[in-house]
Amino acid sequence: MTDIARRVQNLPPYLFARIEQLIEQKKSEGVDVISLGIGDPDEPTPEHICREAARQINVRENHQYPSSAGMLAYRSAVADWYARRFGVWVDPKNEVVSLIGSKEGIAHISWCFVDPGDTVLVPDPGYPVYAGGTILAGGNIHCLPLLPENDYLPRLEDIPSDTARKAKILFLNYPNNPTAAVTREGFFDEVVRFAREYDILVCHDAAYIDVSFEGYRPPSFLEIQGAKEVGIEFGSVSKPYNMTGWRCGWAVGNKHAIEVLGRLKSNIDSGVFQAVQYAAIAGLNGSQQCVSRINGVYRKRRDMALAALGEIGWDITPTKATFYLWLKVPKGFTSESFAEHLIDRAGVVVTPGTGYGNYGAGYFRISLTLSDALLQEALKRLKSTLGRVSF
Amino acid sequence: MRLSSRAMGISPSPTLAVDARAKELASAGERIINFGVGEPDFDTPENIKEAAAQAMSRGMTKYTPVPGILELRKAICEKLFKDNGLEYQPGEIVVSCGAKHSLYNAIQVLVEEGDEVIVPAPYWVTYVEQIKLAGAKPVVIQTRPENGFKILPEDIVQALSPDTRLLILNTPSNPTGSVYTVAEIKALAEVLITAGIWVLSDEIYEKLIYDGARHTSIAAVSPEIKERTIVVNGVSKAYAMTGWRIGYAAAPAGVAKAMTGLQSHCTSNPDSIAQAAALEALRGPQQSLSTMVAAFAERREYILQRLDQVPGIKCGRPGGAFYVFPDVSAYFGRRLNHTTVASGTDLAALLLEEAKVAVVPGAAFGDDRFVRISYATSFENIKEGLNRIATVLCG
Repeated sequence: MTDIARRVQNLPPYLFARIEQLIEQKKSEGVDVISLGIGDPDEPTPEHICREAARQINVRENHQYPSSAGMLAYRSAVADWYARRFGVWVDPKNEVVSLIGSKEGIAHISWCFVDPGDTVLVPDPGYPVYAGGTILAGGNIHCLPLLPENDYLPRLEDIPSDTARKAKILFLNYPNNPTAAVTREGFFDEVVRFAREYDILVCHDAAYIDVSFEGYRPPSFLEIQGAKEVGIEFGSVSKPYNMTGWRCGWAVGNKHAIEVLGRLKSNIDSGVFQAVQYAAIAGLNGSQQCVSRINGVYRKRRDMALAALGEIGWDITPTKATFYLWLKVPKGFTSESFAEHLIDRAGVVVTPGTGYGNYGAGYFRISLTLSDALLQEALKRLKSTLGRVSF
Repeated sequence: MRLSSRAMGISPSPTLAVDARAKELASAGERIINFGVGEPDFDTPENIKEAAAQAMSRGMTKYTPVPGILELRKAICEKLFKDNGLEYQPGEIVVSCGAKHSLYNAIQVLVEEGDEVIVPAPYWVTYVEQIKLAGAKPVVIQTRPENGFKILPEDIVQALSPDTRLLILNTPSNPTGSVYTVAEIKALAEVLITAGIWVLSDEIYEKLIYDGARHTSIAAVSPEIKERTIVVNGVSKAYAMTGWRIGYAAAPAGVAKAMTGLQSHCTSNPDSIAQAAALEALRGPQQSLSTMVAAFAERREYILQRLDQVPGIKCGRPGGAFYVFPDVSAYFGRRLNHTTVASGTDLAALLLEEAKVAVVPGAAFGDDRFVRISYATSFENIKEGLNRIATVLCG
């Protein structure tokens, strides 16, 4: 449609919107579809959080405009959580801003720092919103390949220095979606040095920082000395507390970037419903047993999947974090043809790796956010459809 | 870290200074009468809160479709048909995080870098900032109080250029409370169709309308204009739900699809629980709305009467919203309490310091001969606030 502004025409269709459509279509054709596609926790929001929301819904002040930066009580809860969880001190007044889910901040940070023609460093494969926000602001994407031989960490030394000089933002995401990779000791220090040298804002997406197994504790980027001078970190209550529908997150870190993002977004929205902010506070301040419990659930599913996929022929190192598995497609398939094959033959939806960028070619992602029984059934179907695979 | 030129172009909010000072005085123990508020002082009705609590216990806590749950979009279609005579399909509705967010999506989708957007003044300041954010140029048309602050077809013709893309129309208006009649809307629509430009019609104050006036949506006056209109509305003002952040847009399918695409990249669905609440607001009993409107009507009557008695204040009779927008320019050049008043901003500062009454200077809306007084506050506050204003201004 010619009436649509170019910046929106330039956006690729949002991957998961496309998958949703496919699922709807298959369902309407009478196919009994099981989705391993979208990372939407299947478990309910913990009761103590819902109770607090239900109480706050009745409080009169909450029926009125929130501040777009978030209540100080909310920002303080985020700051306290950072202190407890990572030993990182952030000033709730100047270094925290509320977001309508971390996606909102990721999508809009480019408005703040990227002029048309500026460069943004975007991991590939990666969460599609890094590229989407860049495209909206008219920026150029420079892909950072995440390759298995580098443990899915970008090689900063491979970025040409003239590209680095033009770059305004570096997006990173550990624990990583879609690859489930985690950072390694020393990598974030390299990032800080790199960002300082080239005056780049580091935007670390920490949406999965609470989804981890067997004692592994993913670090915050802000734990690194000097990180706050060069970067911000995005987070959200969606994943740890099963609150994807509530739309509540934050950005934390560099004061200047937080202030600009807060000012910019005040022209886009009027903040998060205060009852939802209180619910998030209840999550952050409350007992974290619900988080360990849900991680136990994901770990069990991971093991179920690893065992079943192992029997089919995949050799996978157990993941330390996220509820995703990033798998090679079998011989004879592309990402797309394999995803299509599975939905047609098995009624199982997986996400083709190319949805996360060119370097996702040859891979697909499955999400463990469905009941044990459904997962078991999906795995059974994969086995009977695929038999034994080779690569 | 150098800012983008867009971020540097964002103006600080002109209301912020008054707001900050009002808060300072309040925290120092002063009793401030706040006429600055832009939201109903009523509670969200019980049935709506109950629906939200039920949604939570039903587990409606996961992602919903990006443009909102189908049932809510159906309810919005029913509302638009019943109240506005508009026929839309659920695929032409996009629910967002408040009407402000709907406006943002609409402008991002329709407006290119270098385009011009016509904005009648006085205007809600966010329009201008959102236009600038899209890299476009706001072309401001000054309206006249004698015309009830309404633009005329010839104003549009004069403002047109080859780059004109969109007109923003806001009826009932914030800050003036003006309500366009059917005839006025029809005349505007004709010019817009001839010019081939789009309309972004902000109808958020639709239900707050007095003296038997009727709200007309520009999309309803002809099929041709409907094809070029994005209607923006929400549950905030009608159901005292500003905090819940649910607004919506109705637009031709292509535009609605593009808005959904944009929203899928930027925010996902609006809060799932608030969507359930909005559904109940639209489908449930409407009694609390009429109670609220009756209360606003009574306050409006009173505030107009009282302002009429303050010499030098000229105030029209706004047909809608919950604001009055008096001309205070008769005070310009006068010395009051040792300061010379030269603008609405000065007068607002004076009223805050001397009367402890917060009003919003007209500068915030593009015309500083005026101040905006909101009557979304209790009758007692209105009475006390006007007593104080009269004391300071009449000496």
